Amino acid sequence: MTDLYLAPLWISLRTVLVATFVTFFVGIAAARWMARYSGRLKSVIDGLFIMPMVLPPTVVGYGLLLLFGKNGPLGKMLLHFGTTIVFSWWATVIAAVVMAFPLMYITARGAFEQVEPNIQDAARTLGASEWRVFWTVTLPLAWPGVAAGTVLALARSLGEFGATLMLAGNIPGRTATIPVAIYFDIQAGEKSQALVLVGIVLVISFAALAAIAYWKGRTPRSKGFLIT
Amino acid sequence: MLKAVIKRSLPGFDLNVDFSVNRELLAVLGPSGSGKTMTLQCIAGLTKPDEGRIELNGKVLYDSEAGINLPPQKRKVGFVFQNYALFPHMTVMENVAYSIRHLPVNEVNLKVERLMNIMNIIPLTDRYPRQLSAGQQQRVAIARALAPDPEVLLLDEPFSALDSQLKERLELELLALQTEYHGSMILVTHDLAEGYKLGSQIAIYQAGRIAQCDTRHKVFASPVNRTVARLTGVRNLMDGIVTRLDGPFAWINIVAWDVPLKALSSPDAGLVPGQKVTVGIRPEYVDLKQAEGENVFPSRILQAVEGISSVTYRFHVQSDQQAKHYINATISKSNALCFEDGQTCLLHFPPENLIVIPAANG
Repeated sequence: MTDLYLAPLWISLRTVLVATFVTFFVGIAAARWMARYSGRLKSVIDGLFIMPMVLPPTVVGYGLLLLFGKNGPLGKMLLHFGTTIVFSWWATVIAAVVMAFPLMYITARGAFEQVEPNIQDAARTLGASEWRVFWTVTLPLAWPGVAAGTVLALARSLGEFGATLMLAGNIPGRTATIPVAIYFDIQAGEKSQALVLVGIVLVISFAALAAIAYWKGRTPRSKGFLIT
Repeated sequence: MLKAVIKRSLPGFDLNVDFSVNRELLAVLGPSGSGKTMTLQCIAGLTKPDEGRIELNGKVLYDSEAGINLPPQKRKVGFVFQNYALFPHMTVMENVAYSIRHLPVNEVNLKVERLMNIMNIIPLTDRYPRQLSAGQQQRVAIARALAPDPEVLLLDEPFSALDSQLKERLELELLALQTEYHGSMILVTHDLAEGYKLGSQIAIYQAGRIAQCDTRHKVFASPVNRTVARLTGVRNLMDGIVTRLDGPFAWINIVAWDVPLKALSSPDAGLVPGQKVTVGIRPEYVDLKQAEGENVFPSRILQAVEGISSVTYRFHVQSDQQAKHYINATISKSNALCFEDGQTCLLHFPPENLIVIPAANG
């Protein structure tokens, strides 16, 4: 029982770490691609990427359920390989990634677009490949924005509730993340247990904010100092 | 040698130029919005022309017919941006070494040190761009652009953000750089004096076209048309008709004044009596005389603007009944004659300093 008592904490930590890791790279890739893409479908794709942010989480969760359910296209494919995502731990990760992605994408894209084109062109005329331009010039200069997006994505995935509940359900010890567990603890009248989890979330959040403040104070250059 | 034929259309603007540069400095002069910077971007591969061909030392960089368009990375073209575009998160050393990181460390160090020595930036090695003055940033930008041994160096108004003293010093450094760097250089500027000082060849841009491209002496001594004349600082331009030829001299009747003016004209100008021409003279060449004589006209001062070492007057030649042409004259203060508004004096147009442009050239 003590194992189950703290289980939501470990589930949430694992979910948040994996989801943030995935969102970080997928978000940056999407942002870089869209910052350079100028096709006709630009606004359509852009809207699609931002969609999870404006839709109610339960709607997104229901959409994911349709997608990954037994009759959904992705669900069928996974069933073909003898597995299913719905109501598994991976479902918490998928829900968190989908909900956190728009924040990472929007922030990173804004940061990439803010990097002065001349500076990137200068790197190109100096012989740097597009890949090198991105890693040595664009990303370092956009770093404050990218870091902010990562923090937002992390917070969003830690707080994810609606879509997680729809796709992953509430299986204690497997898919019950902290927000889900708190809700069901309250429902079940286990106020003290909920309070412990609330305390844990508060500590994690304060620690994260303190770390960001410390890091910002130590690196004044991280503010994005574009010469004009 | 760089050969470029570039055509590019934008809404409301049309670039269509054709020029070549040897191992020398070509100064591209022209008003803002005439396509100077776009030309550089096309050469560097940062903008794709619609049509044309760009060839650098025998290597085709762009050819619309053959479907060749090398990316900027493969062109060996150095670019110094107007705002220098240094990498703000790298030190001066890292900026200069950026393009040669693939070389062995000691080779990189040698090369960077040599370039930083040429550009006088050794003491700045570990500084970041934001800790540098504009002049220092520019030196770093040139050193950085030269590091990969580009075959042509493009400079986009590199002096426009500098104060005049610093500008003069850096102009001298750029002249000195030509003994170290043996590739072609293209300098875009809208400053006449700068273009003349630095460019052995000059191209005059006007609304996306090259109005004239020649040696600097040729461009400034015999502009092909009124536009070039105006853009190269010939502020006094008057319509005239050739009345007779007298050896190397041509007598030209200035229409608005109905007086003859004697001008030295080069034999290859091929003037004939009765031909319509435009006569021009730079304000600096107009001088004052004490007595009447050839090419001397009584004129009234309309306005006098005093500069540091000279005074710029606006004159009205008396025989110009309809007041069609004003004459701008910049006269040195050491020339003890000093006048006030409304006074009349004798203006002299030295025949050897008059520019005669056949009217057919516009």
